Amino acid sequence: MNVSTMTENHNKGARTRAFDQAPGNAWKAWIPALLVLFAIPLLLAGNPFYIHLAVLICLNIIFVNGLALINRTGQLSFCHAAFMGMGAYAAVICTVRFQTPFLISVSAGVAVSMLAAYLLGAVILRLQGVYFVLVTFCFGELFRLVMLEGGDITGGANGIANIPPARLFGFTFDSKLSFYVLAAACAFLSIVFLIALFKTPKGNSLDAVGDNPDLAEASGISIQGSQTFAFVLGSAFAGFSGALLAHYLGFVSPESFNQHISVAAIIMLVIGGRGSVLGPILGALIMTPLPELFRSAIETQNIMYGITLILVLKFLPMGLVGIGAKLRGKKGQP
Amino acid sequence: MKKIAIAGLLCLAGTAFAQEELKIGAIVTLSGAGAAWGQAMLYATELAADDVNAKGGLDVGGKKYKVKVVPYDDKYQAGEAVTAANRLVFEDKVKYIIGPVGSAAALAVTPIVDKNKVVMLTLGFTDKALGKDKAFNFRPNLTTMETSQPQINWIVKAKNIKKVGGLFPNDETGQQIAQDLEKAYSKAGAQLNAKEFFERERVDMMPLLTRMMAKGIDAIELDGNAPGTAGLIVKQARELGFKGFIIRSGGPATPEIVNVAGNGAANGMLVNTPINPANTAVKAYSDRYFAKYKKRMNGFSPAFYDGTHMLLQAMSAAGTTTDTDKVRVALENIKDFKGILGTLNWTGAEVYGAAHQISAPFYIARVQDGQEVIEATCSLTECK
Amino acid sequence: MIRLRAFGDTAVDFTFLIGQALTNGLIIGLLYLLMAIGFTLVFGVMRVVNFAHGEFYMLGAFSAYVCVTKLQLPFLAAVLATFILTLVLGWIIEVVVMKGFRGEELNGMIATIGLAMILQNGALMIFGPDPQSMPAVAEGVVSLGPVMLPMSRLYVVAFSLVVLVLLYGFLMHSKGGRALRAVVQDIEIANAQGIRSQFMYPLGFGIGVALAAVAGALMAPVFSVSPSIGSTPLLKAFIVVILGGLGSIPGAALAALLLGVFESVANPFMSSSFSDMLLFGFVILMLIFRPSGLLGKAGR
Repeated sequence: MNVSTMTENHNKGARTRAFDQAPGNAWKAWIPALLVLFAIPLLLAGNPFYIHLAVLICLNIIFVNGLALINRTGQLSFCHAAFMGMGAYAAVICTVRFQTPFLISVSAGVAVSMLAAYLLGAVILRLQGVYFVLVTFCFGELFRLVMLEGGDITGGANGIANIPPARLFGFTFDSKLSFYVLAAACAFLSIVFLIALFKTPKGNSLDAVGDNPDLAEASGISIQGSQTFAFVLGSAFAGFSGALLAHYLGFVSPESFNQHISVAAIIMLVIGGRGSVLGPILGALIMTPLPELFRSAIETQNIMYGITLILVLKFLPMGLVGIGAKLRGKKGQP
Repeated sequence: MKKIAIAGLLCLAGTAFAQEELKIGAIVTLSGAGAAWGQAMLYATELAADDVNAKGGLDVGGKKYKVKVVPYDDKYQAGEAVTAANRLVFEDKVKYIIGPVGSAAALAVTPIVDKNKVVMLTLGFTDKALGKDKAFNFRPNLTTMETSQPQINWIVKAKNIKKVGGLFPNDETGQQIAQDLEKAYSKAGAQLNAKEFFERERVDMMPLLTRMMAKGIDAIELDGNAPGTAGLIVKQARELGFKGFIIRSGGPATPEIVNVAGNGAANGMLVNTPINPANTAVKAYSDRYFAKYKKRMNGFSPAFYDGTHMLLQAMSAAGTTTDTDKVRVALENIKDFKGILGTLNWTGAEVYGAAHQISAPFYIARVQDGQEVIEATCSLTECK
Repeated sequence: MIRLRAFGDTAVDFTFLIGQALTNGLIIGLLYLLMAIGFTLVFGVMRVVNFAHGEFYMLGAFSAYVCVTKLQLPFLAAVLATFILTLVLGWIIEVVVMKGFRGEELNGMIATIGLAMILQNGALMIFGPDPQSMPAVAEGVVSLGPVMLPMSRLYVVAFSLVVLVLLYGFLMHSKGGRALRAVVQDIEIANAQGIRSQFMYPLGFGIGVALAAVAGALMAPVFSVSPSIGSTPLLKAFIVVILGGLGSIPGAALAALLLGVFESVANPFMSSSFSDMLLFGFVILMLIFRPSGLLGKAGR
């Protein structure tokens, strides 16, 4: 890409700085912009359906942020929905069976996702490219089968219903609006976290690994270490969004975490844009409400998705975020 | 797909000169696994709406209402059904919902419809779809819970069956039905001693059938399978030389099964059917269905046609379309409704805790050259 | 939680069980083989995992269905027509859609996901969701002792074998086939030897997807035909190709037959979802410890 042509004569520090500045370095300007964006649904409080969509957008932002983090180290996970499911199931089982408070349940969900990602990552992250994709694909299927066969623990195909709503510090998030505030806060924090992470040397090393593993290794960055870090953290994001989703919908079932959900996350990421913090936000923002346009004609929707996906890959490999860069006079494009 | 678009256009055209509009939402599966059932429900609702609209609209408290159906696809997924329900309740502001098809989806949308007092007629087979605390849920179709015991009692006795093998899709409907049938067979004095669960998309049943046949079963149970899958099981069982009975204790699908398995393989199959071939009202409905949608009617459709008419009648009786508490009570109070399926009543107080389950006559038929021949007539207590 | 089956409670006819399971397994293994060879050919040439492969199986089934039931063609002609149609379609798709993604593993793969969505939902719009069925090619059953061999499946075996022999002849003894194999093995060396790879990309993709379509056409009379039938064969092709080693044709052949037999023979002893879990677990281990597959060179 644009970076590699610039990097050859530079050291690692200069390279990563250049990379982060390319899609736009006005972080300070668009944090307030984000806050305004998250505040818009509050004005629509009269229509719970829009609030419902806004909640889903926020949860998808967290979910896709996790996938983006993994992808920035050069790996594409095809079992992202499985980690979402793990977080959801673990949190729900804690809430329903052990009556733990919401905060503990969610923490347990995230912890289970992280542990599973660590164990899985330890053995599969030595695989690259399509091999990694295939092994994660298989793992996603395996997870779904295990949930289906889980008997009383997971409720089998019926899943678990009647999950009590989220409660935090004595406040119950049982209305759509209140849950939106919670989800928006979480989504916002996940974004700020990513912005902060990619300003640290650790974050830069993740990009370095994704961009040119050989070069990164030559400059002393551990590929496996960076990828494990991103895989565990990204899966934690997925688990977190799953735990929230389960407490919002009050329901979990294995079909809510199948391959289609993993593919949907990849579509959001690719269309929004890989390699920047803004991409996943754009992807979730656009792709979550889009199906509503086609609610009674689903085939058309999927055909449109397919065509968009191919067109974006062909003409905007950096995703919609790349439009800005293109307009700004093709800076750095070969 | 094209038909849906046209139906949508017709609806739009209809609103232009409508008096007052009454919206009925439909959360139905229009793509993927459950699409055959989703269409059957949606078209039933649309045909019932056509009936009243042709008479100038539904008469409620002296006002005429034009009935409009708003259909959304749930892709057979609980999460999608929740979003569709939110849209219907809050965006389209409907007070009545037909659907969803799947059990998981039915359970997932129940909190939304209950909280917002929306009357819902669902197909969901799970026993948790109805209940004392689910005041607005109704089920206008018979499920395995209702039909299996009387039917299985009769078949086990009449055909002297001891060992039964069953193949079920590994999803919520399949797991539920397997459980119900296992109880029903053991009560009737037979045994469901080979149970196989498989992934919904599976098409090669031979390994599963081989294993079941090795256990020396007398009959294969098909209940719980999608029509196309059931057809494949029949075809492959006969190809493997299975000579015993093939039974379908619920889920009307004979034409689809015969279509896939062929006349020869399907001969002698014993099926549950809500439709007596001698019933001219259903025959007329089926012809109308084909004329409008160019598709053969699925057996669940008449139940939802009657169900929608009961709902509309309840609104007329309650004299309101907006106060759903009154409509719900009026719906509960309907007795001896003359539907195309026969005389219909509500039942289920003992089983579910709420009498929101339809009670309709049904039949046991033998399939002969692709046609159903009635062998016994059943009520919810016994078959004769 | 997991049900391992024993035979303690009921009497079981073992000869029937094992004989039948083995024959079923070999027949289904041949189907997997057709799917997997096409899949591995596409991967070998393009370095792209083709997520739309199952959709070509589906298209092939519909093509045979339309040829036989609507156009009244004989089955053999239907299979031939399917092969030619999908070869041309694959060629066009390669040039129009996939050209920009040659050799780009991740982007190419995501593009095939888009392609799969377009094909599957296009079929849904045209044919509707209901499963269709077409007449069996042959009726009746051949019995070998207690083991039953349905004629309809024996036909599939015969046709598959013919297709495989033709493919073998093409790859081993024709100029185009040799060039294709050279590209699969090492594109740089092939280029250096003057093979026109610009021509090989669409040819490899076209033949690969046409093989999937032929598999679909052959199975159409045995199973039913609907827009969603592609997902299972795709998953099986994945498994076969991982076990056999990505890009390895002999590996795919061995793994396909092994998978077919494993599935059929495992089934009498355990529930099908448990055998699926076992399979996925095994595939994951295989990828980790021997990513080059059963017959591949150790290491990559």
